[in-house]
Amino acid sequence: MPPASSSRRFRAPGALLLFALALGGAYYARAAVKPSVDSVAEGLTCQCGCGLTVANCNHPQCEFSVPVRDQIEKMIAQGRSREQIIEAFRVKYGEKILSAPTTSGFNLLAWITPFGVIAIGGALLVMVFSRWTSGQPSLPARLDEQNFDAALRRRLDDEVRKDA
Amino acid sequence: MPLIGPFALAFALLLAFYSVLANVIGARRRLSALVVSGRHALWAMSAMITVAIVVLWSSLLHSDFTLHYVASYSSLTLPPIYKFTALWGGQQGSLLLWTWLLSVFSSIVAWQNRRRNPEITPYALAVLAVLAIFFLGMLNFVTRPFDLVARVPGDGQDLNPLLQNYWMAIHPPSLYTGYVSASVPFAFGAAALITGKLDDSWIRTTRRWAIFSWFFLTLGNLFGARWAYEVLGWGGYWAWDPVENAAFMPWLVMTAYLHSVMIQERKDMLKVWNLALIGLAFELTLFGTFLTRSGVISSVHSFTQSGLGPYFLTFLAIVASAYTALLVGRLKMLRTPAEFESYLSREAAFLFNNLVLVGIAFAVFWGTIFPVISEAVRGVKITVGPPFFDKVNGPLALLLIFLMGVGPLIAWRRSTARNLLRTFAAPLLIGLGTGLCVALAGLHQWYVLTAFSLAAFVLGTILAEFRHGVTARRHLVGESSARAMVNLVAKNNRRYGGYVIHLGVVLAFVGIVASSFFRLEVKRSVRQGDSIDVGPYELVYLGTRSSMDPHVESLQARIEVMRDGRPLAVMLPAKLFYARQQQPATVVALRSTPLHDLYVVFAGVDEATGQATFQVFLTPLVFWLWAGGLIMALGTVIVMWPNVRERAAIAAVVRAGDEAALEAQMAPGGE
Repeated sequence: MPPASSSRRFRAPGALLLFALALGGAYYARAAVKPSVDSVAEGLTCQCGCGLTVANCNHPQCEFSVPVRDQIEKMIAQGRSREQIIEAFRVKYGEKILSAPTTSGFNLLAWITPFGVIAIGGALLVMVFSRWTSGQPSLPARLDEQNFDAALRRRLDDEVRKDA
Repeated sequence: MPLIGPFALAFALLLAFYSVLANVIGARRRLSALVVSGRHALWAMSAMITVAIVVLWSSLLHSDFTLHYVASYSSLTLPPIYKFTALWGGQQGSLLLWTWLLSVFSSIVAWQNRRRNPEITPYALAVLAVLAIFFLGMLNFVTRPFDLVARVPGDGQDLNPLLQNYWMAIHPPSLYTGYVSASVPFAFGAAALITGKLDDSWIRTTRRWAIFSWFFLTLGNLFGARWAYEVLGWGGYWAWDPVENAAFMPWLVMTAYLHSVMIQERKDMLKVWNLALIGLAFELTLFGTFLTRSGVISSVHSFTQSGLGPYFLTFLAIVASAYTALLVGRLKMLRTPAEFESYLSREAAFLFNNLVLVGIAFAVFWGTIFPVISEAVRGVKITVGPPFFDKVNGPLALLLIFLMGVGPLIAWRRSTARNLLRTFAAPLLIGLGTGLCVALAGLHQWYVLTAFSLAAFVLGTILAEFRHGVTARRHLVGESSARAMVNLVAKNNRRYGGYVIHLGVVLAFVGIVASSFFRLEVKRSVRQGDSIDVGPYELVYLGTRSSMDPHVESLQARIEVMRDGRPLAVMLPAKLFYARQQQPATVVALRSTPLHDLYVVFAGVDEATGQATFQVFLTPLVFWLWAGGLIMALGTVIVMWPNVRERAAIAAVVRAGDEAALEAQMAPGGE
C-alpha cells in the first residue's frame, strides 16, 4: 500500500533527523550549563602586565585578576552567560581586555585571513599539481604490482646483504 | 682592560668590510689570493669579536662597574653563574653574543669550504660578512656594550630576578645558536642565486647546518617553555606571547624546508620553493630579534627593549628585498621539468605538509602583528592571545600530525589503493582503537578524541616502519632483534633518525593536548596542619622557614604530599625577594611523573590570619612534552651523525662537480 511504503521510505531519514536533533539538543543542553569561572576568565586579558589571561595570571595576589575573578563568579551566580559577562567587561575596559579579537567587523579579518591564505595556497598547489600531472606520461606501463614488488624486493635484499 | 673591547669591535668591523670586498672582488676577477685573504679577514674578525666577548665576560665576573652594561645587569652579590649569563641578560650583551656566534659559524664555514665549492663559497662568506657588518655596526655605533658610566656606582642594579634561573643559562644561547646558524644555509642560498650555480650543491653543503639550526631552535623553544613553566608560576608553558611566537615561526619554516629539500635532493624539483623557504626562515629570525628588541608589541619576554627596532626593520627590509630580487631574477634558471604523477605520493604528502607548516607560521605571524594592524587601521588597541592561536592552529596541528603519519610511508611517485591499504591498515586500526578506548574512558571532546587517535595512528606507522626494517634484517642477515635495530638506524640514520624525531613530536603533541584540556587547578588558603586535596593527592601544609642572604630573601613553605594516607614526598615551594631589584620571584615546587605533574606555587602568608595561600596544579601527561622534545633532539643527533656512505657519496659529487672550477680558481694565484 502506498502510505505504508512511504512511511517506510521516511523511516531511516526520520531516525537520522531525530538522532541529529538529539545530538543538537544535547549540545545546547551542555551549552546552557552555567559557565565556569575559568572559561570566562580565559576570554579576558589580565591588565596587571603579566601578559597572560585572567585565568592564567601568575600573580596569586594580583590586583586585577583576583577581583575580576570574584566579579565573574558573582555574575555567573546571577545567571549571566559567558558572552554577557565578557561583553560587560568589554564595555568597562575596552577591546584590549578581550583575549582574542571579536568575530565581527574589521576583527573578522584576524580570523579568516589565515584560513584564506591556506586555502589559496592549497588551491595553488592543486593547480600546480594538475599542470605537472597533465602531459606527464604515466610510468612505462608500470610493471604490474606483483612483479614490481618482486623486483624491488630483490633489489632491497641485495642492498641489505651488501650493507650487512 | 674594558678599553680593549671597543677597539676589538671597531677592528672587527673593518675586517668584515674588507672580507666582503676581498671575497666578492676576488671571486669576480678570479684572484684566488684575494679570496684567501678575505677568508683570513673573516677569521681575524672572529678573533676580534672573541676578544670583545671575553672582555665583557671578564668585566661581568669581576664586577667592573665602570662599564654601564655591568652596572646595569649585575651586582656584587649576584652568583657567579648568573654574572656569566648576564652577558645575554641585556641588550648590548645579547647582541654581542649573537655577533660572536655569527663570526664563529662563519669561520667554521670558511674552514670547511676552503677547498670545496670554490664558486659559491666566497659569495656565501661575503653574505655572512655583510650580516656581521650590520651587527657590528649596531655594537659600534648604536648599542655599545663597552660604554662607561659617568660615576662609578658602589654596586650594580642586578640581573632581572626572572633571568636568575638555570633555564635562562641555556635557553637564550640555544635559541641564538638556532637563529644564527640559519644564516649559513641562507648565505649559501643567496650565493647560489648570485652565482647562478643553482644545482643542489648548496643544499648538500649546508644540509647539516640546516639540521643543526633546527636542532637548536627546537631546544631553544623547549628550554624557553620549560623556563616559563618553572619560573612564571602559572602552571602553563606556552602563552602565545609575541616573543615565543618569534622563536616558533623560524622553527616551523625550517621544518618545512628540511622536508622539501628532500624532494629537491631526490627529484631535482622545488628549487624556487626551497630558496624561498630558507630566505623566509632567516628573515623570520631577524623579525624575531626585531620583535624582542623593538617593544613594538608588548611581551612578557622583552627584557631588553630599546630603540633598535627601526634599524632591524630597515635591515630586514633590505635583506628581504635583495633576496627576493635575486630569486625573481633567477626564476628562469630555476625552472626544472617537474616529475609528479599522483596525489597519492610522498611528494604530494610533503608538499601538503609544507603548506600546513607555512600556513601555521603565517597564522602565528598574522596573530602576532594583528594588534599593530588594528591600531594602525582603527586606532583601537586589541589583544590577540591564546584563544585565537589555539582555535586557529588547533585544527591545523591535527592535519599536520595526520600528514606526519602518511608522508614517510607512502611511496614516492605513486601509490595504489592496494599499497595504501596494506601499509596503513594496522596503523589505522591502532588509531581507531585508541579513539574508541579514549571515548570509553569518558573523554568526549572531539579535539581530544581526534588528537589521540591521530597520535596513535602516527605511532603505529613509526612502529610498523621499525618492525619491517628489523624483520628484514633478521631474515636476510640473521641478526638478533637488538643488533638489527642498531644496524638499521646506523646504516640509514637520516631515515630512522627522522622517525625518532616524529616519535618525539607525537609524544610532545600528546603532552600538549592532555595538559591543555585536563589541567586541574586548586587555590586555597590554609593554616599550619591543614590539608588541600588535589586529585588523588592530599597536601599537608607543615609550616614555613625563612632564610636571608645579602642577595635574596627566601620564605619557603613545607608541604607533605600524601596519597592514600601514605607520605610520598615533601615539596618546598618558596617566595623569594631580591634585594637589589626590590622584586619578588617564585620558586615552584614540582613533582613530575609520566602520568601527571603536581605543581605547587606558594603565594605567601597573611600575617593577620596566619594563613598560607597555595595555588596547586595537577597537569596530566605534561611529562611527555619534555620527554618528546628530548627525543626530537636525540633523533636530530641521529640524523646528523656522520654516515660514512653518505660522506663518500657527497665527496664524489663535490669532487666531480668542483674539480674543474677549483682548477680554474686556483690557476691565477693559488693558496
